[in-house]
Amino acid sequence: MKIALMNGSPKPGNNNSGILLKKIEPLLGEGNELTSISTSGKELTPDQYRALCEMDVLLFAFPLYIDALPSHLFRIIIELERYMKEYKEKEVRVYVLINNGFYEGHQCHIAMKIMENWCKRSGLTFCGGIGQGAGEMMGTISNVPLGHGPLKDLGKAMVRISENIANGTQVEKRMLSPNVPRFFWKLMATHFFWNTTARKNHLNRRDILRKL
Amino acid sequence: MKMIIHDLDSAVFNSFIPHVASDISVLSDTGHIKPCIGCFGCWIKTPGICVRKDGYENLGKMLSECDEVTIISKCIYGSYSPFIRNVLDRSIPYLLPYFTSKNGETHHQRRYNNSFVFTVHFYGEDLTEAERETAKELVAANGINFYSSKEKVFFYDRMESMKGALG
Ligand SMILES: Cc1cc2nc3c(=O)[nH]c(=O)nc-3n(C[C@H](O)[C@H](O)[C@H](O)COP(=O)(O)O)c2cc1C
Repeated sequence: MKIALMNGSPKPGNNNSGILLKKIEPLLGEGNELTSISTSGKELTPDQYRALCEMDVLLFAFPLYIDALPSHLFRIIIELERYMKEYKEKEVRVYVLINNGFYEGHQCHIAMKIMENWCKRSGLTFCGGIGQGAGEMMGTISNVPLGHGPLKDLGKAMVRISENIANGTQVEKRMLSPNVPRFFWKLMATHFFWNTTARKNHLNRRDILRKL
Repeated sequence: MKMIIHDLDSAVFNSFIPHVASDISVLSDTGHIKPCIGCFGCWIKTPGICVRKDGYENLGKMLSECDEVTIISKCIYGSYSPFIRNVLDRSIPYLLPYFTSKNGETHHQRRYNNSFVFTVHFYGEDLTEAERETAKELVAANGINFYSSKEKVFFYDRMESMKGALG
């Protein structure tokens, strides 16, 4: 099977969407032809768009931006609709791995619907996917194996989605929060993410709170 | 202060709203807007201002001066058009990085104390029911994240039919 792994994060370098794709890759099984596409910092070429029309599966991973798709990725899927209408000759199935900053993965449900609506317009088969909350935790826990600790539910969902990709069936939409309590996540995110990074930039809490 | 953010061609916009009142600022597509690159610089490097300098770096402050924000956007797949999406992505300096809970869900704390009425005019020729529903949900969710005091959503089959509604 020809599978495109579409990284829809605009963040250069390491990003959480990339971590999710790396984690699912070994689950996809042998004998597939995988093509990884980054969307950060550069436009896709016409050749890349045409190649996407020849895939069996498009597996999108992207961050939630203001309850929707990041604008650069949104421009890409609009263009891809045009290419699909011109070049697609067989069924193309679409699976989606969204991650969001807030704890609750279900906040990804609108972006999932936007992808579903896009598939309908473009003549693609929407096969559902995962919305994973607390996405910025991925960097610090990327060494934790899927199915363990905070990634327990995500592990199960990833196994399920890869089986579905292999046998051509649909997954439902699964919206997940990490397997850690919300207060713990909030504490970690506030102190070890925002405050620590701000301190590295020589900013204190008053600076962060400033009004202009 | 009121702000109109639109994705219309300037000639079309001017024909719809020939005289823009002095308390309204209009934000349109100059063709130069840069996408957000998710660096969070607007929160932890230059708090309140985006680090990308292209004329759209002050959206946080601009929103803080508004009591009405009106969006005019083509509706695509139940979302705003790319330019409007881009403006919203670049608007997170309006908020703080810190979290709070609203109705049992996590959201960001507010940086400013104002709130605005959030009105969205969606145009698009053959919108499906699913797309309209998605768009309504999207506006409601954005309203929660941006602390709007009220959200209003309108749909128009033809761009021209907006003329009366906007005037
Ligand atoms: C402009 C912008 C808007 C965002 N909007 C939301 C949002 O509406 N809801 C949410 O839960 N997270 C939101 N986030 C957080 C991202 O989804 C989160 O940081 C994600 O883990 C980034 O994934 P990536 O590393 O793959 O880019 C936003 C982040 C940015 C930069």
